[in-house]
Amino acid sequence: MTRETQSTPAASTRVQRLGAGEVSVDIRTPDLEINFGPQHPATHGVMRILMRADGELVTGAQPHLGYLHRCAEKIGENVEWLQYLPYTDRYDYLASMNNNLGYSLAVEALLGVEIPRRATLIRIICAELNRIGSHLVAFGTYGLDIGAFTPFLYTFREREWMMALFEKICGARLTYSYIRIGGLFNDAPPGWFEEVSRFCDVFEQKWQEYVDLLLVNQIYVKRTANIGIISREMALDFGLTGTMVRGSGIDWDLRRDMPYMCYDEIWRSGAFKIPVARGEMGALGDCWDRSWVRVMEMIESIKIVRWCLDNMVEGPVIADIPKTLKVPLGEAYVGIENPRGELGHYVVSDGGKVSIRTRVRGPSFCNLAVLEDILPGSLVGDAIAIIGSTDIVVGETDR
Amino acid sequence: MDFQAIHDRLRAVAAPGLVSADLPRKPDPKVKKDKGRAGDPFVLVEAQRLVEFLEVCRDDDRLKFEQLIDLSATDPAKDDAQLWINVQLLSLKFRHRLAIKCLLPKAAPSMPSTVPVYRASQWHERECAEMFGITFVGHPDPRNILLPDDWVGSPMRKDYEFPKEYHGISCE
Amino acid sequence: MNFFLEGIYQTVGEHLPMWLMMLIAAVTGIAVVLGMVSLIAMFSVWLERKVSGHIQCRYGPMYVGWHGWLQSIADGVKLLLKEDMIPRDADRALFMLAPGLVLAAILGAFAAYPLSPGIWFGDIDLGVFMIIAFSSMTTIGVVMAGWASNSKWTIYGSMREAAQVVAYEIPLGISLLVPVMVAGTFNLREASALQADWFGMKWFLFTNPFMLPAFVLFFIAALAETKRAPFDLPEAESELVAGFMTEYSGIRWSFFFMEEYAAMFLMSALGAVFFLGGFESPLTHFAGEFFGRDLVVVGAGGAKELNFAAIPYHLVAAVTLIAKCFFGVFLMMWLRWTLPRVRIDQVMTMGYKYLTPLSLLCVLGAALWEAGKHALFAS
Repeated sequence: MTRETQSTPAASTRVQRLGAGEVSVDIRTPDLEINFGPQHPATHGVMRILMRADGELVTGAQPHLGYLHRCAEKIGENVEWLQYLPYTDRYDYLASMNNNLGYSLAVEALLGVEIPRRATLIRIICAELNRIGSHLVAFGTYGLDIGAFTPFLYTFREREWMMALFEKICGARLTYSYIRIGGLFNDAPPGWFEEVSRFCDVFEQKWQEYVDLLLVNQIYVKRTANIGIISREMALDFGLTGTMVRGSGIDWDLRRDMPYMCYDEIWRSGAFKIPVARGEMGALGDCWDRSWVRVMEMIESIKIVRWCLDNMVEGPVIADIPKTLKVPLGEAYVGIENPRGELGHYVVSDGGKVSIRTRVRGPSFCNLAVLEDILPGSLVGDAIAIIGSTDIVVGETDR
Repeated sequence: MDFQAIHDRLRAVAAPGLVSADLPRKPDPKVKKDKGRAGDPFVLVEAQRLVEFLEVCRDDDRLKFEQLIDLSATDPAKDDAQLWINVQLLSLKFRHRLAIKCLLPKAAPSMPSTVPVYRASQWHERECAEMFGITFVGHPDPRNILLPDDWVGSPMRKDYEFPKEYHGISCE
Repeated sequence: MNFFLEGIYQTVGEHLPMWLMMLIAAVTGIAVVLGMVSLIAMFSVWLERKVSGHIQCRYGPMYVGWHGWLQSIADGVKLLLKEDMIPRDADRALFMLAPGLVLAAILGAFAAYPLSPGIWFGDIDLGVFMIIAFSSMTTIGVVMAGWASNSKWTIYGSMREAAQVVAYEIPLGISLLVPVMVAGTFNLREASALQADWFGMKWFLFTNPFMLPAFVLFFIAALAETKRAPFDLPEAESELVAGFMTEYSGIRWSFFFMEEYAAMFLMSALGAVFFLGGFESPLTHFAGEFFGRDLVVVGAGGAKELNFAAIPYHLVAAVTLIAKCFFGVFLMMWLRWTLPRVRIDQVMTMGYKYLTPLSLLCVLGAALWEAGKHALFAS
């Protein structure tokens, strides 16, 4: 209660009637508390951020998660190893192939099976295509957050083709469950590689459109440069990974630095580069840098896909593993480069058919933690830009 | 550095709380029913001294674990008296990882918060706290993160019993 | 409408009392304005959906009528039939009043819009002034709507609207002063008539080098005034859900929509009349030569007579202006579906720090140019 209201007789009797202890809510007039979400166009799902704002200036932010919590880790302790695979599709639903891959690699690390080379190469093609698709959504919806509607539909145009490609190879468009423990669900259909190759050619032209239309658009640059700055130290301290650290100028990519599958071979052949932000349009680590990294990564992924297409071999696509999988006793942690950062799977087996722990280290969950620190001090419009630049998928933060 | 080198270095700097190293091994044919152990090596650390241990890992100039990638817990079995705390560290400079495991008694799981060393663990600890009922002493913001504020019990424990109803909504 | 009333007056005028004439005048005027605004809004909504569709590699509405041209009517029926929802904690009276006020303001502004060189609702000498005054009244309705909805998002939207419109009224008015000064009149019809030379191509835009910058400034300010992207901050759908109209639905919501499109049309009309020749084009010029221009001629006996032969000329003139207006509307749509949204501080900076001084400079430059021209060529 403020002093003025206490002095008025009506207010004081009200306080007396309620009793001093019951007036627990401090009515603050200078700051406006806004419930940003759970249903809001810019939260990319059902996330809620409790924002405190002084006019247009955000003075405090507190993310509240859990609206999409589906007990993925608990389910992992109750279903068989292979049965858990479809659940992995559902945490980061924009990069399901990568999730399948991460889980499969973790279980394979315990199994110690040899994956056929053809399966590995198709896995990389799928993972990279899905990375492109995921970045397309990230970039398109980021444009939407900034207020540009059209690039969003342009990016979805290419994503549509990418999903059609996945539909041809596994029948599903969003939740694939295509990459299995031990290899792949089945071989690519005839003509699929040729179509992927065509997709790569077309995509490279269309990619230039996004760059011209949005990435270097002056309004876009003005909106995203110099806001939401994440310094190198902050990025390390908060455990940010993937595009978020590269956006802060840290040259780190698991595909190159801790290679899995045959990424080291691709890297050594010089097929792709790791785009690292240089702070071209403003301070290093701002929102523009992060979106730049994503846009540049798309074209690098195309190069990786091309390399795999060129080096494709014939052969089986799945290792010989039993239908009812028994995983040897032990524990393994495998982190892979998801579009959003390091997706880690920590699996523990007691030698049985069911895992005793399936820990999912979702990159969005860790990347989101930084919001509490970088949102205060920005404008409401910037807050949306900053949230969009972290590129979270709420299915993964909540799992 | 590989795991052996990291472990040697940790021994050399006398990292506080370091108990032992656990490496994967092939099943020993001489021992009956030995299954061996698959997967990754890890170091076992005393839970109560984990903070000091992490500090050494972060600051030692030959380890330089700049990032805490993951902090989670595991309830190995219903009749096991202990919970595990699993920490994954990553060094960007030297490109190596370290898996750490701590044991906590299930009866009263409590350990110092690691947030002063790595802020990344802030949300991970909140998740562990609500899912496993672990108390992180000194955590700056010990609220539930994924579960509702009024949730009862620790759902990720093996002995957790699913509630029959929640706020009048039947769960059966 | 003067033409229509003149007709009535000529035929039966002597037998009717004055008050009835006034009533007929008022009712026809209101009916025509309302119909016009509704038609403009419906057509603009359809146009926007088609334009955005084609920009975004889609078709837009395709099913209701040929290329979906009846879509707006279908939507209108849907909106009319929707449940009228008022939030429990809203200020009911203001909540219901606000959309009406917004629409009324824009309808009022249309009174100064000339339908053709000889047909008008009101031949107002301060036409520009009236249009700007009325269209800024919509801000009051918007602020009212934002406040009455009792929601934080709507408050944000309406406060942004207030700040933005106040900031951009200034460059809008000042940049319009440039052609007004050259024309020497505030009247839209007269200003248009002044551009009839050069076979209908003596547009103000071509007569003074400061007109082009003034037109660009006017267009930017008009975008902000009508809250169109990149200045659609009051309703910024990704930031403020739907801004000031978050809590509105059904027909009340559509009032805001109609206002937006009517305002776009009206701002384009101002631009068309004061920069792009208004009714004048070579086509209008030759139609005028061919059919004659005057609707009301003084007959042999000194009595006024209606000259129906001139109607095709007036039709051509009216269509010319409407086409120019929709060209402006199309430009606004094009921009909306291309550009991202600017931030509120950037909007304010642009309005106060750049557009206002620049428009003042334009006025100064145009004035010096005109004075120089006068001094050199007048004698």
